[in-house]
Amino acid sequence: MALTQALTIGIDIGGTKVAAGVVDPEGNILDRLRRDTPTKDPRETEDAIAEIVHDLESRHDVIAVGIGAAGFVDGTRSSVLFAPHLAWRHEPLRDAVERRLGLPVVVENDANAAAWSEWRFGGGQGESHLVCVTLGTGIGGAILNDGALQRGKFGIAGEFGHMQVVPGGHRCECGNRGCWEQYASGNALTREARELALSGSPVAHNLLRAADGDPRKINGPMVTELAKDGDPVAVELLEDVGRWLGIGLANLAAALDPGTFVIGGGVSDAGELLLAPAREAFKRTLTGRGFRPEARIVRAVLGPEAGMVGAADLAREEATWLRRVRVKTTAVTAKTAARSGRSTRLERAARKSVGRRTGMRTAAPDPERELQDETEV
Amino acid sequence: MGLSIGIDVGGTKIAAGVVGADGKIGARAQRDTPADSTDETAQAICDAAAELIKEHEVEAVGIGAAGFVSSDRSTVLFAPNLAWRDEPLGRRVSEVLKVPVVVENDANAAAWGEFAFGAAKNVEHMVCVTVGTGIGGGVVIEGELLRGAHGVAAELGHMRVVPGGHRCGCGGRGCWEQYASGRALVREARAQAESGSLAAAQMLSVCGITDSAELTGPMITEAAAAGDPCAVELLDDLGRWLGEGLASIATLFDPSTIVIGGGVSAAKELLLKSAQVAFEKNLPAKANRPHPSFGLAELGNDAGIIGAADLARRPAGR
Repeated sequence: MALTQALTIGIDIGGTKVAAGVVDPEGNILDRLRRDTPTKDPRETEDAIAEIVHDLESRHDVIAVGIGAAGFVDGTRSSVLFAPHLAWRHEPLRDAVERRLGLPVVVENDANAAAWSEWRFGGGQGESHLVCVTLGTGIGGAILNDGALQRGKFGIAGEFGHMQVVPGGHRCECGNRGCWEQYASGNALTREARELALSGSPVAHNLLRAADGDPRKINGPMVTELAKDGDPVAVELLEDVGRWLGIGLANLAAALDPGTFVIGGGVSDAGELLLAPAREAFKRTLTGRGFRPEARIVRAVLGPEAGMVGAADLAREEATWLRRVRVKTTAVTAKTAARSGRSTRLERAARKSVGRRTGMRTAAPDPERELQDETEV
Repeated sequence: MGLSIGIDVGGTKIAAGVVGADGKIGARAQRDTPADSTDETAQAICDAAAELIKEHEVEAVGIGAAGFVSSDRSTVLFAPNLAWRDEPLGRRVSEVLKVPVVVENDANAAAWGEFAFGAAKNVEHMVCVTVGTGIGGGVVIEGELLRGAHGVAAELGHMRVVPGGHRCGCGGRGCWEQYASGRALVREARAQAESGSLAAAQMLSVCGITDSAELTGPMITEAAAAGDPCAVELLDDLGRWLGEGLASIATLFDPSTIVIGGGVSAAKELLLKSAQVAFEKNLPAKANRPHPSFGLAELGNDAGIIGAADLARRPAGR
């Protein structure tokens, strides 16, 4: 079997749900699994990953596993430094899971994984300077230049949600105040809607009715549904979030100057109700407007499974590459090396190199070119 | 690599120098900037370069321009303090001088100078802010200058830090450079003096002036260095804004080194200390991530010349 045709598993580990799928090289999901995230103990999370992989592996022949994790993934992409909603602290996730599974494993920040799939298969195809913003509970971000994820020195670039947009503003769980994700995320939408309902304003009548009269039950999807039905208050709430989105994007354009912004995540389900006011605020706030080319702002097309698909595709990139290197130079197979938990010097070098290939544009020699005749294993 | 010329084109002065492969400046030439006429500006740039080319064999000329430079590295799309609008500067100068010319944003050139030969040598991920009248930014990612899709990336001074804040020349409000630049320093000092503050009156007398309209940034820095409490506080406030903004910028780029240059950085520790404290305090999830190092630029006003000259010798992006 040509490796480029091989299947991989993508696993998206969020604060509440683990979503996994078997993904083919065109980004199609052939099989899916979902379960709750065990948040207390890192071991339980590993158990959950192992169970999911064994389950999917029993039905499909897969060559690698990609994990998208909601947290800081270190520069070597082997450890999760910190995850705000999970128990990981300097967790050597990749090696631990590789040992248990006997398969090559790639760990990637979830927003990076989602951005990668939007670039490969979605709204960012063909864009050489892409910035992806994922609006979920918080805000995830990723930067792709010429198809290379920009990870920064320590692996944690693109954490746009924590750029400060209001001095002394709302508290954020990162420890600061006034972070962008306190104004342009699902949490912000919910907070504002609840506050309005709690104030007893008659304009919040429809919102309250949708939540059975309990302001605490109001959530983001509820607001979006009402807005789509034309409820003026719900439309305004999304407009406000859209405006903050556009203002933050203008900051990112000043710093990064992308050709396209792709907006994904649950809040982007609101479509133009969110993006139209975002574009307006962006145009009104962009530095040097009128004297510079402006980025497009488009909606992500892959939906909530973008992270899963991206993690799987990144795993394929790396596994394909690693095996080629191994076939060429050593007799150690991917499985035995992974099972033993050992990694050869060559393998480490190859990992670094493929990390750069998916992660950085460099002038490093491209071993793929030298190994073109090795695509069959 | 042979010699190349670097030219820093500011709002008032054009400074040129012959730069060797070691990043050292040999001969220099200078002209005033005729800010109102693009023809005269191009002429003055050519004059300064020609003066140096007469005596030295150079392989390329790099121009650092205070404005939006297109990704073609030749056209200045817009300059806030000069008359350039879609100005084909590189082509015009190249036609006269008969050598290859590249145009780079001035802050990008300065950042590259610090990366290639200064405070961030051999660092692959760096952010450089040039704190002068405004704030210029330059970002190096994995050893490459960040230019963006259209060439106008790293305009860090125009990130909005205060909703509805001070007006900015870029057309916005609340831009970072309205709070953490030399202009902000002088504005705040004058405002304090005009409010009738005794501390500010004392600062004016330390500066040897009576009218706050005569205040300049360097005067305030000198007064602070001499221990004047008002001047120290003003620089402290400036440093805090600087550090807070840099914390936001670190979330985008995750650099290993942050370099602070430009005229205001002459205040050294008086600025750097409060900037670093504010930076460390505002870095998101600070307890759970590596922190970049923080330092002053080393090349001073020559960073732009050296960086532009070095970039002129390299193909785009490196």
